[in-house]
Amino acid sequence: MLEILSITKQFGGLTALQDVAFTVGRGELVALVGPNGAGKSTLFNIIAGAFPPTRGQIVFNGRDVTGLSSHDLARLGVARTFQQTTLFGEQTALENVLHGLHRHVPARVVAGLLATPAYREEQREVARRALGVLELLGIAAYRDAVAADLPLGIQKLLTVAVALATEPVLLLLDEPAAGLSLDEATRMMNLVASEIRQRCTVVLVEHNMRIVAGWCDRAVVLHFGQKIYDGAPEGLTRDQGVVDAYLGVAELA
Amino acid sequence: MKGAFEAPFPMDVYLHLIAQGLAIGLLTGVLYVLIALGLTLIYGILHIVNFAHGEIYMLGAMGVFYCYVVFKLPFAATLVVILLLSLLLGLGVERAFFRSLRGQWLQLVVASVGLSLIIQSLGWIAFGIQEKNVPSFFTGVVAFGGVRLPTERLIAAAVGVVLVALLYALVYRTKVGLAMRAIEEDEETARMLGIDADRVAALACAVGFALAALAGAFVAPIYSLNPGMGLEAILMSFLIIIVGGLGSITGTVLAGLLVGVLQSVGGVLLGAEAAYGLVFIVMIVVLVVRPAGLLGKA
Amino acid sequence: MKRGLLGLLIAALALLPPLGKPYVLHVVIVVLINVVYAQALYVIMRMGYLSFGHAGYIALGGYTSALLATKLAITPWIGFLAGGIVAGVFAWALGAVTLKLRGIYFSLSVFAFAEVVNAAFRAFEVFGGPAGIAGVPRPALLGTRLNTHLQFYYVVLAVALVSLFFLYRLQWTRFGFTLLALRTRETERLAESLGINAARYKTLAFVVSCFFCGLMGAVHVHYLRFVSPFVFTFFLSNDLMIYVMVGGLGSYWGPMLGAVLLTGLGEQLFAAGYYKSLVYAVVLLVVILALPGGLISLPRILRRGGARERVLPVAADVSAARER
Repeated sequence: MLEILSITKQFGGLTALQDVAFTVGRGELVALVGPNGAGKSTLFNIIAGAFPPTRGQIVFNGRDVTGLSSHDLARLGVARTFQQTTLFGEQTALENVLHGLHRHVPARVVAGLLATPAYREEQREVARRALGVLELLGIAAYRDAVAADLPLGIQKLLTVAVALATEPVLLLLDEPAAGLSLDEATRMMNLVASEIRQRCTVVLVEHNMRIVAGWCDRAVVLHFGQKIYDGAPEGLTRDQGVVDAYLGVAELA
Repeated sequence: MKGAFEAPFPMDVYLHLIAQGLAIGLLTGVLYVLIALGLTLIYGILHIVNFAHGEIYMLGAMGVFYCYVVFKLPFAATLVVILLLSLLLGLGVERAFFRSLRGQWLQLVVASVGLSLIIQSLGWIAFGIQEKNVPSFFTGVVAFGGVRLPTERLIAAAVGVVLVALLYALVYRTKVGLAMRAIEEDEETARMLGIDADRVAALACAVGFALAALAGAFVAPIYSLNPGMGLEAILMSFLIIIVGGLGSITGTVLAGLLVGVLQSVGGVLLGAEAAYGLVFIVMIVVLVVRPAGLLGKA
Repeated sequence: MKRGLLGLLIAALALLPPLGKPYVLHVVIVVLINVVYAQALYVIMRMGYLSFGHAGYIALGGYTSALLATKLAITPWIGFLAGGIVAGVFAWALGAVTLKLRGIYFSLSVFAFAEVVNAAFRAFEVFGGPAGIAGVPRPALLGTRLNTHLQFYYVVLAVALVSLFFLYRLQWTRFGFTLLALRTRETERLAESLGINAARYKTLAFVVSCFFCGLMGAVHVHYLRFVSPFVFTFFLSNDLMIYVMVGGLGSYWGPMLGAVLLTGLGEQLFAAGYYKSLVYAVVLLVVILALPGGLISLPRILRRGGARERVLPVAADVSAARER
């Protein structure tokens, strides 16, 4: 359902991505892998609408979405998290998720201004939905805590909750396990591989091979802006190109 | 002042007027640069636009009135007094207000606005509404190439250029300057490397204030003084740093000169109010085309 | 409990005035006007945009109504609305350019805009030049011109109550809640990724804010029966910002509190002229340094003995979620 067609991205004289192409099928859990600087985040940003590619196309569900803004893409069902844990820091966890539900809550200005009973009931329903998302990720206990005060592990889960609240068809997770302890990372990935992938297709960026191998259906490896591998995670350690790209072969063991 | 277009003149007279306007504009521009540079310096280190800057400029001008006219100090002594007092004021303000609010952009800006109000109010109360005038420090006119420039303005511009050069030397050739640039780049890392960010911030504030006060001192003989004169100065400075780019010294210098020339030549051709509008339009254009300013960092 | 107090206050505002002296009425009128200005400014301040040029929009509204009334004999009732609409239109046009800017660039550009508006009013004779426009008429109701303080007081009260009600309700709607997501460049990016068209929301908020400024500006001018470039100056913009900061950004009632306290204080010190600005500025600095959340945060701090305070209001109807 997602086709990346020959994406090239240049920043001034620097070529970040060169003719990168692959597809993602519905329901898959795909990892976008590569050492630092390989172009993973750049590609991610392009797919998510942060900026357009220099050349190439992105086709989503048969529709050319190249260059669409991020809020337009969100309307089409693409959601993402950011590499830097980005939240509405001064608001509570519940409020953060409420923002995530934005797409699904009709505007209804007049009813809102007058605070009609129907409007109030609608808002209560929305709040219940938000709570549901928090429960899905196991962080409902933190619903009234201010986001900026939460520990990193919970924050990362919250960023996923917020993105998930948009009820996306395609979820892009940028290094969801970065900075987490082994336990926390395991918990996160277990959630991704079970609850979350049941609801949407997931593409995640990772450079930790263990995570890729342990949970993902497929791995696409980038190196210096080019795709050097596209297939099952088991084949990663056997592919010479991948091994060469990652200095420190021990990492792949 | 009505614009030159009001009455028909032959072309060479226009050219002469424009040349004159250009020259005066450059001289005025240097003074604008001084004020704006003080603002840029403070912004670079403290990351706030110091709204009280215009009032410091006013204090510099008023200081000249009191030292030179009332107490009849010699010109050089007056400048030294203004310099020292403004440096002290800068250190004091940084210590008393800016330091405790570091990192809180909104509060810092608002605090500087409050400070500007306090200084201005005190100014009105202390100096009264009677406009004050300072006689020229130097008399005479230098003429070359058909352009006549008051000696005083030339000297003021010359001193200004020296000060700008000194500032460049400070920022780019001294250890303190290196510290300043490090803090501007990444304060946290700079602190970790052992740089005393608070001391450097205090110094930046002091130098910034001194530049504004000295600019005010040189402007004193040119215009009549009143405690509200800071408003126009700060408005001009804002326009300049928006056009030149916040945080860029060279950008500020270029923009300051540009604004000075635009205002002067525009004033000759279109009248003072319209020239003002012209500068504003240029600012809007720059904001739309290059929001970070000509040489600014976003 | 709160509703009861509010009802009592409104009743007092409605019923007591005939008993008051004209000077007291004047003070209350000025307070009401400033409260609306401050609350209107608050809409964009809680979105992270600090405006030093709101007086420009107030002036646009005031001049519009004054010109309509004096040059075209159009009734102020329409003039008020026209003032708001003109201010809103300018806000919409300028918002397109300035709202893309963040932080200080935005503040400076609105500041510059307000100065240009004032300069334009000063320069051109059609706006009355430096002398302004005099003889701006009061509106007429059922044949009588509302010329006394008491009569016009009710006009001001009515407009203020409607405006404040609208602005209050606005922040509790989904729209008001979404504005909170746009406070910084970072959160704006996050909001966009959730499908929120930040530019549209910011522009709308700006238009609403300026509409009410223009509306009240028109009412203000008809109260004074006069307008000039020296009425709505940078000092007014400053004052409004001070009301909001002193009152506190953390709650809808903050700016109102700041406006009431400081305007009341200011009227007492009016004769002292520049002392008023001095007092305002000192109060501002004291609050900024000692009580960053503004005066409105005082009860919260006293209750919890200095707990970390939230700078932003609670989201709409989350009380609903707490019911669970």
